[in-house]
Amino acid sequence: MLKNMKKTGSGKTNFPPTDYERIFHPRRLAIIGVSADASGAGFGTGIFKSITAMGFAGKIFPVNPKGGSLDGQNIFKSLEDIPEEIDFAVIAVAARFVPDVLEACLKKGAAGAEIISSGFSELGTEEGRELERRIKEIAAKGIRVVGPNCFGIYCPASGLTLLPGPDLSRESGPVGFLAQSGGMAIDFAHAGKWMGVRFSKMVSFGNGADLREAELLRYFKDDPETKVISMYIEGIQDGDSFFKEIKAAAGKKPVIVYKGGLSRAGARSVASHTASMGGSGTIWKSVLKQANAIQVHDTEELAQASLAFALLPPKKFSGISVIGGGGAIGVTACDTAEIYGMEIPPLAEDIQQRIYDYLPKPGSSAINPVDVANPFVPPQSLKSVLLAAAEDQRIELQIIVSLLYHYKSIAKMFNKPVAEITPYKELAQAVRDVVDQTAKPVIAVLPNAKRGVDDLDIVEMIALTKKEYVDRGIPVFDELHDAIRAIGHINTYYGGKNHDER
Amino acid sequence: MTKDKAVKIICDARRKGSKTLSEYESKQVLAAYDIPVTKEILLKDKSNLEKTIRKIGYPLVMKGCSPEIAHKTEKGLIHVDIRTIKEAKKVFNEIMAGMKGFDGGVLVQQMIKGGRELVMGMNRDAQFGPCVMFGLGGIFTEILKDISFRRAPLKKRDALDMMREIRGHKILDAVRGMEAVDKKLLIDMLMNIGRIGMEIPEISEIDLNPVIIDGSKPVVVDALIVLEKV
Repeated sequence: MLKNMKKTGSGKTNFPPTDYERIFHPRRLAIIGVSADASGAGFGTGIFKSITAMGFAGKIFPVNPKGGSLDGQNIFKSLEDIPEEIDFAVIAVAARFVPDVLEACLKKGAAGAEIISSGFSELGTEEGRELERRIKEIAAKGIRVVGPNCFGIYCPASGLTLLPGPDLSRESGPVGFLAQSGGMAIDFAHAGKWMGVRFSKMVSFGNGADLREAELLRYFKDDPETKVISMYIEGIQDGDSFFKEIKAAAGKKPVIVYKGGLSRAGARSVASHTASMGGSGTIWKSVLKQANAIQVHDTEELAQASLAFALLPPKKFSGISVIGGGGAIGVTACDTAEIYGMEIPPLAEDIQQRIYDYLPKPGSSAINPVDVANPFVPPQSLKSVLLAAAEDQRIELQIIVSLLYHYKSIAKMFNKPVAEITPYKELAQAVRDVVDQTAKPVIAVLPNAKRGVDDLDIVEMIALTKKEYVDRGIPVFDELHDAIRAIGHINTYYGGKNHDER
Repeated sequence: MTKDKAVKIICDARRKGSKTLSEYESKQVLAAYDIPVTKEILLKDKSNLEKTIRKIGYPLVMKGCSPEIAHKTEKGLIHVDIRTIKEAKKVFNEIMAGMKGFDGGVLVQQMIKGGRELVMGMNRDAQFGPCVMFGLGGIFTEILKDISFRRAPLKKRDALDMMREIRGHKILDAVRGMEAVDKKLLIDMLMNIGRIGMEIPEISEIDLNPVIIDGSKPVVVDALIVLEKV
């Protein structure tokens, strides 16, 4: 056996001991079901190429009974031919061959295997169910299985990647993600890359024949690399153990849940009011609240909440300042803040006076929200405004809303590209400086009303601006509402965590 | 033993082929779990009416009581604010006539007066098991659906959260000259409903509606317990 065995949790529930270290950071990886160069590309080859493209540092042993070579690497005809033990395996052979291959992986000493192949219980056929039952039996003998019918594991630190993910980030971060759906995982992995969400590990477990939600929650709870747990679930296997694990996990770190499939279809007929009002959606909402997990309602909200939890300090933010252009911003900010239980208090009089001095006149307002009157206020002035506002003790977090798309009119005037004329780098750096000097977080919001084909230059400039923020560790959102909602989730979590006798 | 007493009531009802407990039986199960219910006596014939009324005291509520009859209001089987023996006798006859063909009797009940009505209940979720409900009661239950749920077993904090969570939570405070509701009692009630859900798998649903606030004390005025299908 290889180095530090990491065993699961406190043993309250009888999860089998599992060497997660060798699963997430394998040094010797078998990929079963690749095709030789000439014979076209299946899933096995796809994952081989993806993992290679990611720069996986360990040894890779491709396997196919026909042998041959792939990208200059010898293909082993069987697992037995591999000259050493393996840590982990990716299985992408036809469903009917999977049990034998899994058994062979077990004999090769693998701590785990991900089964990309489909054709199991999801078909609803007797044959599919039987194959899945056999997978469970083999898993119980001592090899942990992710899948079948999944996209597998993404671990930036080791270079393991999801099935179609040759270009995911190698930068590790605090967010652990688990989902049944592989599509959800790959979407979030890609979105995370430009949004600035960095992952510790991502597991798409498909049918979840062996490893699934409750046990993975336990793992992520105890995993020091994971600070925030995000998940997408459709069904759960066991409500009792799920509840225990999610409650325990949320007691230790934020858990964000997107529960799919909350329709009322299939609800049993009931006799009482209580039962008629306790549909699946209501109960899920209640159970997640009871566990102090954060419920979100779509993938965007999931990603935004993950970003906020990952980048903001672990505390409740009651008072916020909003600085930006456009009269409606003030109204939107106040309305949204009220919904999510935070306050945008008027700044102290002396601070207001100083801020007013930095702003163009007429049309600006220094009360809070601070209306900067036009979108072309120089980054250095905005920096002065943010620094001044941070001096108010009630302000715990600041939001800066920049309507950068207006720079297109200036670009036209000077006949220059909009990305050249917009001082977005200076802006991002100014915000970073403010955070460093004040120790109060700032969130950037970059609304863009011009996203059509006429304005691809603006779309590009906004994307570049985002990158400057992301590179500096500043959370950035498209809309003010999204930002405030994400802070609201943080407040709900830390508010729920610390209130009387849990 | 609270559970034994409750289970006996359920077994007796099942032996009679009932799918639900009557109001009277339901309240006995609740009382076995220390949940405050109205003072009441079930009468099968009129001869004991006067003696019964002396025990309960005016004003009275009289209801037709049978596990076979739901929607008592619509069927004219509930009479409230009865203040004389003459009236009581007349109502008794009317109810018995209205119940013709059903097994049951007349429930002679203490009348609880209060301006605030709550609902409590229990339902079994397919995934999460017994879940306890709390909310605004009476006619508002269906109209406003201002309710909250928590999975059993409940901690004290869960029960408190359920109360805070409803939009109308201020109804529990001292409002319009009414006393603040005894929250400790509400917490105990909710926790005990959760206990019933945990301890008696034979019960599939519980509806306590209304729970009327008498001064500061909540009292279960009507109750329905639905049994699991055998």
